[in-house]
Amino acid sequence: MGNKQTIFTAQHKYLKLFPRLFYRYRDLAPQLVPLDYTNQPDVKLPYELIGSMPELKDNPFRQRIAEVFSEDGEGNMTLDDFLDMFSVLSEMAPRDLKAYYAFKIYDFNNDDFICKSDLEKTLNKLTRNELTEDEVRMVCEKVIDEADLDNDGRLSLEDFQHMIVRAPDFLSTFHIRI
Amino acid sequence: MASKPQRHDSSNSDPGEQQALRLRRVSSPVSTNNYPLFNWSSTPAGEDEEGNSRPHRDLRSIPLPMALKRAVRQVQQMHVPVVSRMESWKRNKTKSLRKLKDNAREFHYIFTLWSKSLQKIGGNFGGGVQSYFVFLRFLVVLNFFSFLLIAGFVLIPSIVFRSVGTTLTNSSGPEKCMNYDPNPQGLVVFYNYFLNLLSGTGFMEYSYLFYGYYNNTMAGDRTFSYNIPLAYLFTVVFYFAFCLICIIARMGTAARVAVATGGSAGGNYSMMVFTGWDYGCMADQATKLKQKTIHYRLQVDLEEERIQKRAAALTSSQKIILYSIRFLMCFIAFGLIIASFYGIFVATNFSQEKSGQEGFLGLFFEYLPSIVITTGNFLVPLLCDQIALIEQYAPSTTIILALLRAVFLRLVSLGVLLFTLWRQITCEGQTNSGTCKLCQYNYEVYPCWETRVGQEMYKLTLFDFLINIAVLALVEFPRRMVVDNSSSKVAQWVGRQEFMVPSNVLGLVYGQTVVWTGALFCPLLPLINTIKFVFLFYCKKVTLFYNCRPALKTFRSTTSTFFFLVVLLFGWGLAILVMIYSLAEIHPSMGCGPFRFFPYMWSIVPTSFYSLSKTTQEFLFFIGSQAFSIPLFVLSCVVMCYFIALTSVYGKSVALLRAQLKLEGRDKQFLVKQIEELSRLQIPKHNAGVQD
Repeated sequence: MGNKQTIFTAQHKYLKLFPRLFYRYRDLAPQLVPLDYTNQPDVKLPYELIGSMPELKDNPFRQRIAEVFSEDGEGNMTLDDFLDMFSVLSEMAPRDLKAYYAFKIYDFNNDDFICKSDLEKTLNKLTRNELTEDEVRMVCEKVIDEADLDNDGRLSLEDFQHMIVRAPDFLSTFHIRI
Repeated sequence: MASKPQRHDSSNSDPGEQQALRLRRVSSPVSTNNYPLFNWSSTPAGEDEEGNSRPHRDLRSIPLPMALKRAVRQVQQMHVPVVSRMESWKRNKTKSLRKLKDNAREFHYIFTLWSKSLQKIGGNFGGGVQSYFVFLRFLVVLNFFSFLLIAGFVLIPSIVFRSVGTTLTNSSGPEKCMNYDPNPQGLVVFYNYFLNLLSGTGFMEYSYLFYGYYNNTMAGDRTFSYNIPLAYLFTVVFYFAFCLICIIARMGTAARVAVATGGSAGGNYSMMVFTGWDYGCMADQATKLKQKTIHYRLQVDLEEERIQKRAAALTSSQKIILYSIRFLMCFIAFGLIIASFYGIFVATNFSQEKSGQEGFLGLFFEYLPSIVITTGNFLVPLLCDQIALIEQYAPSTTIILALLRAVFLRLVSLGVLLFTLWRQITCEGQTNSGTCKLCQYNYEVYPCWETRVGQEMYKLTLFDFLINIAVLALVEFPRRMVVDNSSSKVAQWVGRQEFMVPSNVLGLVYGQTVVWTGALFCPLLPLINTIKFVFLFYCKKVTLFYNCRPALKTFRSTTSTFFFLVVLLFGWGLAILVMIYSLAEIHPSMGCGPFRFFPYMWSIVPTSFYSLSKTTQEFLFFIGSQAFSIPLFVLSCVVMCYFIALTSVYGKSVALLRAQLKLEGRDKQFLVKQIEELSRLQIPKHNAGVQD
């Protein structure tokens, strides 16, 4: 492991920029991830390892996060996906980029719209299934009332982004510190 | 994070890259959406100045996978525009400037005080509690820089020029007024040192800590002169201006966020659902509590709606009863506050009467006003909370009302203390009667009244700090130990304590107001306050992590920052009133201080003014004259009107755009319906056509 120098002089650009992230990725499965990425090995870490990271393991949306950022849509992430994920969730990512990915995270059925069932799933994950049926229904109705601008009964990306623009806390809550 | 990646040989990794891209495109079901936000055919125009940087920035904000972004960047970099030498020099300059800015930002991150602690607090307890600690950090930095200001212009010159220097005025006053001997006589009992430390008397009184020690001298020779009293005055005035500018600058950033997001015009539920979860939450405990918080907030909002519906459905007789109850309760709350003011008044009078006493009893009498203020600040809000239960306002209104009452109580109780002191110093305002006749102030009881006022402020600061530590050690830690170890129902019902952000913030505002009020009389008070706040930070952090559970009722962090600063401004306003009055109305002590023998503290300014050169005098006269100040005033009014007009125009355009967005949605629906109808009409025709 004393070859940090060789890694830093390796050809790959992002190793110079994100060494910390690379080591976190490697620490998840040292036997799978090689130290030398010059030949771009095709290494994918399974979702179970990603979901066990301390930053993610208590997040109710960790499965969706992994699915959105992974190449295969199942949550198994390559190093590129891993870097993508943490760069979007960092504090320097612009608001629109975060809003785009947040929308995809909350869109459980991947149909590019947040419909009522997606909202219900979001709410239940947020409150650990502790709200009653009535309350869930009331809150979903209110959310769609407030945010749906084109009146089609579900939230499109534009509706979502329009609503996020008005939320001053979004940038600070949609942020994982690593 | 992603600064420009190095350009490397495209030859040896291009095929690999492209192959990876191809594989990516084919295999993932998720990426069937064609990234509509990126225009593949766009190329950087060669003519614009930051041509190299703009596509780079655009690329960062577009949601593409990393490999695709890298490929695009390679393609862009291959379009090397042909530019003149001037252009390329400019581009290099902007690049290096940006690098410098990024480095400066990183540098700033490293040196920001306590940033890791604040992150930890925010992750575990939420944004509301974090905003309290951010506010505390702001006050620490403000006090520290104020101390540097005062040290640089008042303290160090005083120390350096202590022995040299000529007195400014040759006039003197009556013998009796100049009688000031603060040094204790004879043998002093050893514990007196401790008592003196706590009350600022004895060996501490005649020291750089208080106003009375500074000299009425002007040091220097022909080439350089330093007028210490003038420096003292201007430093204090500038200190107030500096604090005001810092607070307003900070309010500006908080307000800008609120204005940009259009206020909280609706959208509460959607915002809570989509932005309520803090992805930075790490501990398992914290996430469970976060979920409970969100659950609680949703329930509270739903409850508020139910209450509003119920309130709207009240009959008129019920309404009358409710309003009369509210009026009565308001009256009672007001009466409680007035009662506490009277208590402070009496206590201060009593304490001043007994000020000569020795020993621990003397210490008790010295601290009596602080004790009464603290007791009042503790009891009255509790009673007001009980009153609020009867008043039955909506929960959000109750919180705001409680905060306003508490702010009023705290700041005005300080005002009552100061008023009492004033009465005694100036013989109830009549400086030509009784004991005040000789020196224009009560020289018998207060040979050096500024030092006495400084001592009172010093005692208030110290007492506030001691009470905080005492509450920590004697109430919070034992409470946690009792709750954790006993299984009785009472203990479980009482529960671990919550970190109450509003009351803690009011404590900070009160402490800072005391420091501002006392800065004129006790120049080292900002330093003492800096040390006190630093200790307070660590103590509060310790108690937060060991004794508290996260609050269920969270405080919104963006609006709360603005509110804290507004309350801080109230405190600043009170302090500046005191300062202006002391500078302009009360006769300075003749036995001590840099302003002895002047009729008012401010009169040093005209005196020094006439010793300036003729041209400077004329210039300053011109600035103060009407010919200059009225056009300046008119100009600033015009500028202010311009900004107000700009704000209203932006607000109107935001509202118009929102309405337009809604209309577009409806248009789209209409068109879609039309298409559906037309297609329905077409299909039978088409079928008829086919059959034929």
